[in-house]
Amino acid sequence: MKRTLQVLNELERDGVIERYAIGGAMGATFYVEPLLTFDLDVFVILPQSASSLLSLVPLYEALRARGYTEEGECVLIEGVPVQFLPAYNALLDEALREARETSYEEVPTRVVRAEQLIAICLQTGRDKDRERVRIFREQAEVDMNYLAGVLQRHGLERKWKQWTP
Amino acid sequence: MDTLKPEIARLFAAKEARRHKLAALPFSEKVRVVVRLQEMAAPVLRARGIKVRVWNLDSRVA
Repeated sequence: MKRTLQVLNELERDGVIERYAIGGAMGATFYVEPLLTFDLDVFVILPQSASSLLSLVPLYEALRARGYTEEGECVLIEGVPVQFLPAYNALLDEALREARETSYEEVPTRVVRAEQLIAICLQTGRDKDRERVRIFREQAEVDMNYLAGVLQRHGLERKWKQWTP
Repeated sequence: MDTLKPEIARLFAAKEARRHKLAALPFSEKVRVVVRLQEMAAPVLRARGIKVRVWNLDSRVA
C-alpha cells in the first residue's frame, strides 16, 4: 500500500490527476475500527479536458504506461486494487478540497474528512452506508458543528434525521 | 422487556471496548488488520464464486 500511495502521489505530481483523497471503507477505517474491503476507493479531481467531460481514460492510459493493469472496475497498483471515482458532484468536490493531509508509513497522502464521509454515506444511501454512519457515530471523533454545515450545504439534514432518530 | 444476564452484558461490553481499541490504532496498523480480514474472508467468498484479491502490502518501495 505504501508503494500504491507513492504511485498516486506521482500521478498528482505529473498532473494526471489534480488531487486525490482516500474514501470508501478504507477512508472510514482511518477514523473507526478496521472495516473489511477489497478495494481502495480513491476520489479524484481530474484536470479539465477540452471537452470538459469527466473521463478516466487519460488516467487509465497513464497507469497502463506505468505497467498497471485493469481488473474489473479497479486498476491493480502494486498489489492493491484501486477504484478511482471522479468527483461528480459538489459534495465530492468539497470532500476532496477539504481532505485531511496525513501519512502512511511516511508516505504523504490524503483521507476524506469523517464528516464528509458521513455525508457521502447519506447521499449514497445503501444499507451498508447506514451501518457505516452508525459506526461513525459510535467510534469516530466527529465535529458536529462542521458536520451540520456539510449536511446543510448538501441538503442532507432530513436524511440525517431519518437515519439517526 | 428482556434484560441481559450480567455475564452476557459483560461480554458485549468487552466486545465494544475492543472495537474502540481497534478504532484507536494507527492507520498503518489498521491496514494490516484489514488485510488479515481479507485473508479470512477470501476463502469463503471464493467458495461462493466471488473473485477477490488479498492486498499485497509488501510491494517494492522505491
